[in-house]
Amino acid sequence: MGTLMKYLVLAFAALAITFNPAHAAEPTGEAMAATCAACHGTHGKLGTVEYMPLAGMAETEFVRAMQDFRSGKRLSTLMGHVANGFSDNEIRAMAKYFATIK
Amino acid sequence: MLNRRDFLKAGAGLALAAALPARAAAGTAHVVIIGGGVGGATAAKYLKLYNPALRVTVIEANRSYIRPYGSSEVLTGHASMDDLNVSYDALKSKYGVEFVFDTVVGFDPTKKQVRTAGRQSIAYDKLIVSPGISLQYQAIPGYSAAVAETRAPSGWIPGSQTALLTQQLKAMRPGGTFVIVAPPNPYRCPPGPYERAALVTEWMRKHNPSGKVLILDPKDSFVTDATMQLGWHRLYGYNIPNDYLSDMPAGVKNSGKPSPIEWVRAMDGGATEKIDARTLTVTTKQGAVKADVLNIIPPMKAGKLAFDMGLTDASGFCPVDRRSFESSVHHDVFVIGDASIADAMPKSGFSANNQAKITARAIVAQLAGRAPGEPVWENTCFALAGSDYGLFVADVFRLKDGKIARMPGERYLPLDASMTKIRLAAAYQQAWLKTFTEDCFA
Repeated sequence: MGTLMKYLVLAFAALAITFNPAHAAEPTGEAMAATCAACHGTHGKLGTVEYMPLAGMAETEFVRAMQDFRSGKRLSTLMGHVANGFSDNEIRAMAKYFATIK
Repeated sequence: MLNRRDFLKAGAGLALAAALPARAAAGTAHVVIIGGGVGGATAAKYLKLYNPALRVTVIEANRSYIRPYGSSEVLTGHASMDDLNVSYDALKSKYGVEFVFDTVVGFDPTKKQVRTAGRQSIAYDKLIVSPGISLQYQAIPGYSAAVAETRAPSGWIPGSQTALLTQQLKAMRPGGTFVIVAPPNPYRCPPGPYERAALVTEWMRKHNPSGKVLILDPKDSFVTDATMQLGWHRLYGYNIPNDYLSDMPAGVKNSGKPSPIEWVRAMDGGATEKIDARTLTVTTKQGAVKADVLNIIPPMKAGKLAFDMGLTDASGFCPVDRRSFESSVHHDVFVIGDASIADAMPKSGFSANNQAKITARAIVAQLAGRAPGEPVWENTCFALAGSDYGLFVADVFRLKDGKIARMPGERYLPLDASMTKIRLAAAYQQAWLKTFTEDCFA
């Protein structure tokens, strides 16, 4: 591959990162967390025992749980389907948000 | 009753009435919400969570809410009418949401005011309209609101018809037929008619063992159809149609014996042509069916208020900018929940709750001069094939080319799910009735 070609490939890769719409159009952790609240309670705080409380959960625990739901390593009724709808980056953003809730 | 022109006229010319002042600095902007159902209540709560300085007023006709989700459980005595009652107290005391218990009779989008039957003029900076559905009784020849209140209840908006249907089920003759006329798409609570059929069948096994449930359907399929039918098959000996049978787990075989629950699809002549309220007879292409109890879930459109306010299009629902749910007809007016056109999102309480949050975020951003963030929505509909037999549809939705699209992937309970998972899904359904109500109203 010629130097110019290499340069163009790199330039394209850089553009793809900058303008990747999936990356640019990412909801905030708080906005994504609000979708969980309809089962897991407002801010992940709960009044019942059936759903996992998410408020204050350690980031690593949240991320691992969601990744394991997605891969099927952890059994679930429907969390596998839900976890599938979010990217790694988004799962980390949600984890960050829930970890801050006391 | 006002027609649409009177309605808009009643909204105009409010100048002399003592309009509540609305306009102010961003922090004290006034957001008015019409309708205190799931959409309106969730929007009110989350607006206050996202910006406690906002003034939020809900205009609602009733002093408390009767929740539709889970209301079929009243028919079987698993829940009482009282259990459906949800208070607005927490929204008032915990979040400082103001309530005006009144009916909107006028709307002036230019002056940004609404007028109530109690002669209040209420000015808004942003207006959220969450009017729910209206039942199109008259779409079925022979059916009407009067017939629904006396002979053949729909019970789809819970209240007196739910109570009537419960009495009728209890009083049904031994061996009678409980007929459910299912609605065409789109309608509120997609698995709902079939869950109701299941719960009534389960109830009859105990209380009227020779009774039958017959679903007459203008559709050929429904959301959760495969998992629901597998549940019916296992619990009640339902015979699964051949086109569904091929996907079922090994060992699932029809007995061929008559089953206490039957689903007649459009392709088999299930579409209702007319009813006779006096004799409780339903006429379909296949002929006449005589019901002992007749439960008609009619076609649906946006709530009447959406029509009065001129927010609907030819579809009978309200076009919106999908990012914020701002009306395509009027600026600073947002339509959420069942009345809105939300593409792949079903008309469900869960959808309305998630739409309310995204709209609350968009309004807070707009008032602060920021562009709304990237939206994301979820929906989960839990449903029961029996008290201990749960199933569901679960989806994540994103904005794609200006429309709301479902993220690809699995969405139903797998057909080979273990009984443990099935029982768990039923436990989650019962818990969800509580946690969901709390997220919306408390």
